[in-house]
Amino acid sequence: MGKKTCCTENDPFFIDYPGRIKSIQEAMASEGFDVYLGSRLRTISWTTDAFCPWRSYIVIPREGLPTLFTFVIDASRVADDTWLPEDNVRGYAPLGGQDQITQISDFIKDELKIRKGRLAYETGLSNYTPEGNLSQYEYEMFTAALPGLEFVNAHIIVDRLSLIKDEGTINRFREASRYTDVGHEAVREALVNGGWKGKTETEIAGIAECAMRKAGSEWAWSFTAGNEIASGYRTGYAGGACTPATRRELQPGDSLMVDLHAMYRLGLGDYAYNYLIAPVTDRMRWHARNYIDVVQMCIDNYREGITPLGLASMVMEMAEERGFTDYVVPGFEHGIGMMGDEWRIGLNTGPIKYWTDPNHVYQAGEMLICAVQYACPEEKIGFRYECPILIHENCCELMAKFPLDVEEID
Amino acid sequence: MEDKLKYLSPEWRDEAYRRLSAELDPEKMNYATTSLVSVYHNCPDGKERYFFVSCVDGAIGDVSVGEGEPPEAEFSISGDYDVFAKMSRGELGAQAALMSGKLKLKGNMVKALKLSSLADRLNRVIATIPTQF
Repeated sequence: MGKKTCCTENDPFFIDYPGRIKSIQEAMASEGFDVYLGSRLRTISWTTDAFCPWRSYIVIPREGLPTLFTFVIDASRVADDTWLPEDNVRGYAPLGGQDQITQISDFIKDELKIRKGRLAYETGLSNYTPEGNLSQYEYEMFTAALPGLEFVNAHIIVDRLSLIKDEGTINRFREASRYTDVGHEAVREALVNGGWKGKTETEIAGIAECAMRKAGSEWAWSFTAGNEIASGYRTGYAGGACTPATRRELQPGDSLMVDLHAMYRLGLGDYAYNYLIAPVTDRMRWHARNYIDVVQMCIDNYREGITPLGLASMVMEMAEERGFTDYVVPGFEHGIGMMGDEWRIGLNTGPIKYWTDPNHVYQAGEMLICAVQYACPEEKIGFRYECPILIHENCCELMAKFPLDVEEID
Repeated sequence: MEDKLKYLSPEWRDEAYRRLSAELDPEKMNYATTSLVSVYHNCPDGKERYFFVSCVDGAIGDVSVGEGEPPEAEFSISGDYDVFAKMSRGELGAQAALMSGKLKLKGNMVKALKLSSLADRLNRVIATIPTQF
């Protein structure tokens, strides 16, 4: 109940959810839709303000409040968390008449009284497992249960509306980034002055998680295993963008990658910081300098008007001049939004459908994760930078305040 | 031997109302306000029947039986007469009937969960009526 009562316009984390629904309904009206059936996690988060880990659906009529359907075992909790009235959260269950297909199609037919017209639904392709597009089976069952409705893929409506972030969303990201700063401080404190000796990757993940939870983080949200820790050769995986913590114990001469994730009311924190454990060679420092310069170039150039391809070209030119192109993944961002909105940049208008549009022109108010992956597998070394950034007209704002560095510890 | 009342007959309805009112006070019904209609398909005479119970602040309100279109209720459970008869004879549990799809529930499942113990209390009282199926 706390969330509902604090969600007033004076609250820095206020989001105008009824306004979001109204904007969807206006788009539905202009595109001739009678009802919207949202199933993607990003859509559920963006419309309900509730964490919905179970398969969920939101049904939005042309007028009035939407109704959320989620697994019955979690429906009461979701009803407590969301801004929607209790009656607008329904639980589905494996009982006669209560499975998700029957319940939602009956709801559309009998309660919304919509038996003919156009239904907007969400499908497509994603490299992100929990995306939540309607499955083939769901599509077949829904179309059979709602024979009078024409089903039209219309995810673009929510994608378009959620591209530019409002102040409440931005502030939630700032708060979640504050948690990752706290986590990094705790990890650094635990590692310096020989504290790293005998520590494992999972232990480091736990130290960070404990500190971030104390600060208020709800969840290390990343589907790539929460707080990602890699050490030694594991920092040097080619591509290397997913490193679930293992039981590997830190060793002298290791590089160490600490990538922390935190969540504040569906706003996401994501900051990666790197260490080198003594003894550190000049060659290791050369790699570290390359990595830092790449990140700095990205940070200095993210602003309105730049494109992912434009930035990548600029960075790779520097890498070419300095002889380290082999070690840089030539992409420096991934998309971000409220929980479940991850990965692609832009609006699916690029040459390869459902992937980042390399020519997407950033606008002020967009957010992304600046993500740099530097890896040299043959030398068993690598670094990662991730930080949520907000695009401004002439610069970008780093949500996390932890410094950019590769810190040497002994 | 106690005379048996014909299932879903007006006499059976009167006895149901009498027993429910006598045995379930508002406290036992958690002061709930709700309504439930059971819809019986394929009755022995080929007709469709319903059994409706409402509750206002925990007090038993309307109890009615009838043929044809059932009244509006917060919850509706529909299925074949035989399934309901088996349940009333204790040969089939309500949960098993719902989980196997033999009965279809309509209404807000979250609220239904909260009220399921009340439905059980209603059913236990109704099951005490000497009934001829």
